[in-house]
Amino acid sequence: MSSSGPILKVSRVEKHFGGIAAVDGATLDVARGSITALIGPNGAGKTTLFNVVSGFYRPERGEILFEGERIDRRSPHSIAQRGLVRTFQITKALTKMTVLENVMLAARNQPGEHLWQIVLRPGSARRREREVAERARELLRFVHLERLADDYAGTLSGGQRKLLEFARALMTEPRMVLLDEPMAGVNPTLGLELLERMKALQVDLGMTFLLIEHDMEVVMSVSERVIVMNEGRVIADGPPGEVQRDQRVIDAYLGTGAAAAAGGMGR
Amino acid sequence: MTAPLLATTIASPSFWAFVGVVAGIYTIFALGLQLQFGFTGLLNFGHVAFMAISAYTMAILIVKVEAPMWAAAPAGIAVAMVFGLLIGLPTLRLRADYLAITTIAFGEIVRYVALNQDGLTGGPIGTINLKGSGTSASYNGDWLAFQGKVQHALETVFGDMGKDTAMLAIVWTVAIALIVAMQVLVKAPWGRVLRSIREDEDAASSLGKNVFAYKLQALALGAALAAVAGLFFAFQFSFFSPQDFDPLTTFFGYIIVILAGTARNWAVPVGAVIFGVIFAGTRFFEFPPFTYFGSADRAYLRLIVVGLILIGLMAFRPQGLLGKREEMVLE
Amino acid sequence: MSELAQLLANGLVTGSIIAIAAIGLTLVYGILGIVNFAHGEYLAFGAFIAFAVNVTLGWPIAGSIVFAMVATAMLGLGLEYGLWRPLRRRGAKVVALLLVSIGLALVLRHVIFLVWGATPRRFDVDVFQVYDLGGVIRLSLTQITAVSIAFAAILLVGLTLARTKLGKSMRAYSDNSALASVSGIDVDRITAYTWVLGAGLAGLGGVLLGLVQGSFNPNMGFTLLLPIFAAVILGGVGSAYGSLVGGVGLGLAMELSTWNALAGGVDPVYKPVVAFAILILALLVRPQGLFGKARYV
Repeated sequence: MSSSGPILKVSRVEKHFGGIAAVDGATLDVARGSITALIGPNGAGKTTLFNVVSGFYRPERGEILFEGERIDRRSPHSIAQRGLVRTFQITKALTKMTVLENVMLAARNQPGEHLWQIVLRPGSARRREREVAERARELLRFVHLERLADDYAGTLSGGQRKLLEFARALMTEPRMVLLDEPMAGVNPTLGLELLERMKALQVDLGMTFLLIEHDMEVVMSVSERVIVMNEGRVIADGPPGEVQRDQRVIDAYLGTGAAAAAGGMGR
Repeated sequence: MTAPLLATTIASPSFWAFVGVVAGIYTIFALGLQLQFGFTGLLNFGHVAFMAISAYTMAILIVKVEAPMWAAAPAGIAVAMVFGLLIGLPTLRLRADYLAITTIAFGEIVRYVALNQDGLTGGPIGTINLKGSGTSASYNGDWLAFQGKVQHALETVFGDMGKDTAMLAIVWTVAIALIVAMQVLVKAPWGRVLRSIREDEDAASSLGKNVFAYKLQALALGAALAAVAGLFFAFQFSFFSPQDFDPLTTFFGYIIVILAGTARNWAVPVGAVIFGVIFAGTRFFEFPPFTYFGSADRAYLRLIVVGLILIGLMAFRPQGLLGKREEMVLE
Repeated sequence: MSELAQLLANGLVTGSIIAIAAIGLTLVYGILGIVNFAHGEYLAFGAFIAFAVNVTLGWPIAGSIVFAMVATAMLGLGLEYGLWRPLRRRGAKVVALLLVSIGLALVLRHVIFLVWGATPRRFDVDVFQVYDLGGVIRLSLTQITAVSIAFAAILLVGLTLARTKLGKSMRAYSDNSALASVSGIDVDRITAYTWVLGAGLAGLGGVLLGLVQGSFNPNMGFTLLLPIFAAVILGGVGSAYGSLVGGVGLGLAMELSTWNALAGGVDPVYKPVVAFAILILALLVRPQGLFGKARYV
């Protein structure tokens, strides 16, 4: 049952801040194994929706199902443990740890993270740590940060931190990844490569991606489906070609004066 | 901690053995703060309460229940850990500054209870009053016997030594063993999770780490270390009273951790020894400006110096003497 | 009934002093981000300065109070320029500043000990003049004076914060410093006035505390610090009105908890414990304080 339906279902979710509805009855589905883009003008509620889905905010209304299971009352760590992991718009690289440690931290099934296991099964913690280090280095190669593995993450540039967060998210062996503007500040060549890797992960492992992105070229080239939000609601949902002709979408962008974005969409 | 007046001078070995014992006790105490504050970023200002709880639990069990020391001492540690969990449950989700204020309040509640429940704790006079007035209570018979055995064993190897030296050996053996144990834990992936929480809780929980559970573990384990320090404190001074556990002791622990360097286990004893020498040594400085002051005034002067050291460290060397600036997290 | 009235009166006396001290603490906390553990020592400083001019120099108590307030405000201002501002310029944040304030508390308290010693001190006032109000409440003249001054000061501060341009910008800055600094508020001026007001009120609170307690020693401020913090957190950090309500409320709660009708009441020695317990309970229910706003992630 759960292996065929949508991997993520968001129904009529509301989140208010001091009387202002940041998310106002948003409803959307994300198909398993898809790459879906979430777009909309600034202040549309995209990042707030990510915060609600990943458990950082608790919605006042509505429900969220991941793999058929309610997650809207769950805490962020338990949602992440279920295989739904997110990155942050303003990166949360752990600057006082090395790049490699950042990625290794994200590993799951590490007995060395549990006090009793360190005492009772020190060998298995060490073995797992070797596997984790190897896998972390692989992922760092994947995002071209392997040269910086032993540097403090605080020395990385904004774009490099985005890449680090991407690698860290993959280290958790997720089934679905929420990416909040993963390309911001990343150099374009590397960005393109990242997109290819994302597609490869989608095809090879059936991983699902939902990404907030402002670059319409990226959105159109990578995603098979686009969801458009405005003023806390989903106003359009469909294949890229269809959505960009949708009058409500054009109005929403023009209405906020984001003509450049709309221009990008019209291409 | 108030040291009894010593009829010794700065040149006497037994004075330095005494300073060494106190430094060892402070090392164990501050090691708990290092875990909570240095590695996990928890601003626990009620640390001294765990010391008080274990010392009182042990003394009460020995005097009133006539429990053997080898059962009462672990019970003291266990009760302190339980209190660590109890105070952690409501407070560990709070911001750093709120946590500081609620934990210091917790510490003061413990001290008020010790001060006012005469029937349970002996009240303001201290543990000597545990059996009520008229009889003087003592809890360290078993311990002195053990300490005597250690002294005897050491003397067969190293020749004559005082009972202070035996205490010194015991305290520092335990202190070093605990440092090694803490080092194993923080070098394990467990410690990596703590450091991630210290810097950014949201990052840690977004990667599936149960931040609250880790904070609770750090608090309880740190409480256990304070509890061990509390037991040694009780043994060293053979009786104690609520005023030994005022918030100043916790602040001394912080000064040791900051002096040493946060997130550095091996630096803690260095910080504790430096602090001990500054603290105890100034008692015997026989040159101006110290000679202008009487002994009570010198006690005030000492605390002024300690306060200035804390301010100076925070202003000029917040990473401490042995810390690394790149790894320092201070919100 | 008369016990209840007496407890209410005592609660107002204690509560008004906590409230006065809490306003200063909450403004400094909200505007400058300093969780000032030395605030209690500002109270003690005020009390001992007043003692010096009142007893040593023989000034009348009214003049001594004013002198102590000015002196404590100067201390606050001096420490801002000599300590806090340089630290903030070096990028020190909340936890670093908090630890510095502990160092400062140690220094100030023991300087006071060094100068005035540990002997309990009293002001040169008539403590034996006791008034019987309607046959139910007995308050000493010093208590009545203290509570009247406290409420007059509270009213004055409330008006200043509500009506004057300075007061309004202080509240705006305390509520949202990022917003206020882009809206053209002169931050340096606000900072200076915050210390003058906060430290001056602490000095006043210290003298009043000395008056109602009868005798005091240099530990007086630290003893009251935790109830003051409790009032600040109950009221919501940065909210001057909140800490007023929190302070008076805590004072009343501490006194009323000893009421016999409440299953015998708690032992009076546990009054501070009542304040801490209320604080911990309140944080359980509303971690942002009773009047504070929810925090964004």
